[in-house]
Amino acid sequence: MIKRLIYIFILTLIFASCKNDKKADGDFSTEFNVPDSVIYEGDLEISESAMDEIVQNISSPVEMAALIKSLGVPFSKDYLATTDYIDNYDTNFKKALGLGIFGADLGYLNMYNKTGSVIDYISAIKTLADGIRVGQFFDFTTLKRLATNNQNLDSLMYISVQNFNQMDRYLRENNRSNLSSLIVAGVWIEGMYLVGEVARKSPSAELSEKIGEQKIILSNLMILLNNYEKDPKFKELIEDLEEIQKLFKNVIITYEKGEPEAVEEDGMLVIKQNDKQFIEISDEIRNKIINKTADVRNKIIQL
Amino acid sequence: MKYRYILFALFAIFLFGYSLKTNAQSGQELVDICNIIADDATYLKDFQVKLDAAKPGEEKPSSRFSVVLSKNTIYRFSICNSKDYPGKAIVQLYDNNRLLGSNYIVATGKNYPSFDFQCQSTGVYHIFIDFKEGEQGLAVALLSFVKKF
Repeated sequence: MIKRLIYIFILTLIFASCKNDKKADGDFSTEFNVPDSVIYEGDLEISESAMDEIVQNISSPVEMAALIKSLGVPFSKDYLATTDYIDNYDTNFKKALGLGIFGADLGYLNMYNKTGSVIDYISAIKTLADGIRVGQFFDFTTLKRLATNNQNLDSLMYISVQNFNQMDRYLRENNRSNLSSLIVAGVWIEGMYLVGEVARKSPSAELSEKIGEQKIILSNLMILLNNYEKDPKFKELIEDLEEIQKLFKNVIITYEKGEPEAVEEDGMLVIKQNDKQFIEISDEIRNKIINKTADVRNKIIQL
Repeated sequence: MKYRYILFALFAIFLFGYSLKTNAQSGQELVDICNIIADDATYLKDFQVKLDAAKPGEEKPSSRFSVVLSKNTIYRFSICNSKDYPGKAIVQLYDNNRLLGSNYIVATGKNYPSFDFQCQSTGVYHIFIDFKEGEQGLAVALLSFVKKF
């Protein structure tokens, strides 16, 4: 009897030690096998560990779309990249760039609560994410249910943005920062394209300024991408973006430093920066930047 | 009979330990809680930090993250601490060379669960997170978008 109990206990211990112990911090890095072909093995200007410290939130689909919506500009499906040719995204490079582009479009759709079209975009994103083996972070089932039932739209935005962050974190933590950089680039290019197209139809000082301030953001994006310039596909993308960067040289940004202050308003702590930033951009340069961005973006989505 | 009791006692301890482990608060749970604290602001990024206690005579351990923030935008930083660790997170926001603000006001000793930042200059900002008095801790700082102004 005792022997039997000992056997049971040992078996229980073995079983427990083999259980699927999902890490508490959501680190899935050891759970999925990644083929060598998708790990970047080229020479890097910055080490992969240093890439973890690279600036985040370079391009935010939420902020771009919020700006457009806050200006009272009506929604237009014409601005969005088509999901019809998803099979043409047939390399990891194209898939990652496409993920960023469709991610930005999804942010725009979500901001305007256009749940009818959301399903096409989340399906495209799921296909591309699976293609570069990060599909496990994209909760397609929940997003589809939320979009189909036209309910809990805040959750739709929250889950989709968070899923993109999880994909990005996973890629950076697994020596695949090259793909993470491409997703960031795709989001930036599409966001910039959306703002540009809206500015073309409904010009405003706010949109011109938003375009002008991208000079700062593009320079940070270029630091990311230049790390992979030895890859011919990256080199081509970098050269295209350098064309836009050249135009940005004509945008002048100046600063007036103020003294930051912390105040309590209705029980909430508010930090006021009190700086001033002046962005000078002529209509001519703005239009050239919009046109060049559209060229670069259309070249990518034509594949 | 005596052995049987010992074995069952060991088994009960094992099961109890297992159930405690599964109840530990994960980073993802903290992100979800923080998103509730952020209220009607729209989630943008989360920064998960797990730091050991400071060693005697050494600086407090801290983590740094860099983000791009945009002009004329109000951002909200919400901070959530794990109940499994004693540390209370202090989040400090810097521009290139100076401290702009923190959720912990030294003068009053008050710790805020969140703060809003009225950004007036597009650029790179740095978020430093450490734990009060160098205690061991697990926390999430969540960055969300409130509105354009």
